[in-house]
Amino acid sequence: MKRLLLVAAMLALPAVVRAQDNVLHIYNWNDYIAPETVARFEKQCNCKVKQSYYSDNEELLAKLAAGAKGYDILVPTSNYVLGMAKAGWLQPLDKSRLPNLGNILPAYMNTPFDPGNKYSVPYAYTITMLGYNERKIKELGLTIDSWSAIFEPRILEKLKGRITVLDSQSELMAAALKYLGYSVNDRDPKHWEQAKQVILEAKPYWAAFKASGYIEQLAAGNIWLVHGYSSDIYLADQGAQEAKQPFRIRHALPREGAVLALDAMVIHKSAPRPDLAHQFINFMLDGKNSVDLTNMIGSGNPNGAALAHIKPEIKAMSAIFPDAETAKKLEMLKDMTSRERRTMNRIWTEIKAR
Amino acid sequence: MREKTPPGIVQEAASVPVKAPARLPASPGGRLARWLVSGPPLLYLAVFFAIPTLIMVLASFRFPGDFGGLAPIFYEDETGRHLDLTLENYSRFFSDFLYTELFIKSFAYAALTTLVCLLIAYPLAMLIARSPKKQRDLLVLLVILPFWSNFLIRVYAWMIILGPNSVFLGAFNRVLGVFGLEPVTLLYTPFAVVVGLVYVHLPFMVLPLYANLEKHDPALLDAAQDLGANAWNRFWRVTWPLSLPGVFAGAALVFIPAFGIFAIPDILGGTSGIMIGNVIKQQFLDTRDWPFGSVLSIVLTVTAVALAGLAAAFARRSRL
Repeated sequence: MKRLLLVAAMLALPAVVRAQDNVLHIYNWNDYIAPETVARFEKQCNCKVKQSYYSDNEELLAKLAAGAKGYDILVPTSNYVLGMAKAGWLQPLDKSRLPNLGNILPAYMNTPFDPGNKYSVPYAYTITMLGYNERKIKELGLTIDSWSAIFEPRILEKLKGRITVLDSQSELMAAALKYLGYSVNDRDPKHWEQAKQVILEAKPYWAAFKASGYIEQLAAGNIWLVHGYSSDIYLADQGAQEAKQPFRIRHALPREGAVLALDAMVIHKSAPRPDLAHQFINFMLDGKNSVDLTNMIGSGNPNGAALAHIKPEIKAMSAIFPDAETAKKLEMLKDMTSRERRTMNRIWTEIKAR
Repeated sequence: MREKTPPGIVQEAASVPVKAPARLPASPGGRLARWLVSGPPLLYLAVFFAIPTLIMVLASFRFPGDFGGLAPIFYEDETGRHLDLTLENYSRFFSDFLYTELFIKSFAYAALTTLVCLLIAYPLAMLIARSPKKQRDLLVLLVILPFWSNFLIRVYAWMIILGPNSVFLGAFNRVLGVFGLEPVTLLYTPFAVVVGLVYVHLPFMVLPLYANLEKHDPALLDAAQDLGANAWNRFWRVTWPLSLPGVFAGAALVFIPAFGIFAIPDILGGTSGIMIGNVIKQQFLDTRDWPFGSVLSIVLTVTAVALAGLAAAFARRSRL
């Protein structure tokens, strides 16, 4: 009997080890991959996918800076790719293992953040814009089509205490800079000072700075106007419909332009399974897989092969899939030097403390 | 950045009346026993307090790395290898009043929280201490019951309770309306922050107070009554002075964590709700400025330790 057990254990052991090894570790944003996509990939690769989550690029960066290991795939926003590659945290992609790479639209390839896409492959994008409670805004007789909706005291008076803005120094400053007619990547201290004044004047009318909590508040009807990410605004609308609210949540892409955040898949330098990681990236480049996320959270999709499969009501949203003319006004945030970040944080601390 | 209070304060302050500290014999065996007893807590303090604090102190003299972390401690140029240390992080703190202002604001929040906690916890602790023994254990259990669910979930629950669509606030505003007053907003205000802070820290005030009050000898109150003291005098001249060590212990346990907290102002606070803890968190995340975050943490730790020392000193004096 004992010997039988031993044999059974010896037989079982390698199986356990293999099952444990056959795991792809993805470190991703919250709710940033559809469960059915994961299930399909697990079936295809005959492996397990283990996910952990971050809510902010800086959280990801802080973790990697502290020496975190064991992740295969990371999904940072493009502007972080350059820094992560320079810091030596990424490994170059083996393009021969990514035959589906051609599906990505040329506009999203070869960005200044990763020339030649040496390290990164576009995953999805969000645009930072405005979201509003359609019924309330109509009742108040307002039109939301410009950043003035969150910065102009004349308009804000009607919305006092019903607005949240993003709890992000780079995003809020970018919105104020756009409102003033500057680039989101403007580094002129005088323009920053102007943007700070715009924010300080508008601040008394805002309810709070929120990084993600605005989704529920918008869906519940507590908050009527938000400065937020396109996919979160889409989720708020879904939430409002599920709760059978008498209103819909709508997107508004300000006419001055906005920030576009292109998230990209990269492979960590010390990835335990680069082979599975390449397999996963190629899998996600398949339009049929890439489209799941767009259909789930209304994210923008840089994959040309996915466009045909997007739900018509999402594809029709001009705020998420803008025409070529509007798309020109969208900008990606560039990384700052540590000195610029210090100055920005001094401004931000003052904004939040006042 | 929630700092641990030196564990000595609670036991020391809560033990009434004073007893001479127990001494182990100075024989070699006694010395070993002493090390065995004090070793684990000392090790705990060394690993989880002293070493991280030292790392923080070192980091505060260095430059931030471009992608988070710290810049290399040595840099090289034509003239050779140099130690790259600076006082700039400190001068930045002391030359800009904005950060001191935030410390003062956090201090005010923490002080108010401590006061409100004391006012709520004192009667409660007294009630528990004077209940029959059987009910006492149950009541103490009820005080610590909230710890069984996650801290963040409990704070999120307050978002619903204080939110504009809550039943509670709706009823309250209707009452205000009867008196012709404007409806009030509670969520995202300093009031919401204080409610959250008080709610989270209340048990830390109740428990040391209870531990102290429970040990009071009821005969003292009988004697005071026999000598003609009324209810107020019995409280003010007998119970209150005897309970001071418990008050100081509770105050330290509430004040110090409340001083450095960032989660509650993040969730419940409005556009001006931030405390120094939020700024420290920003330095480590948004700004990738670990050295400056370390400076702010050091100032926070020094202030907290000084205040804990002060409370301990007061507690010792009030026992004499």
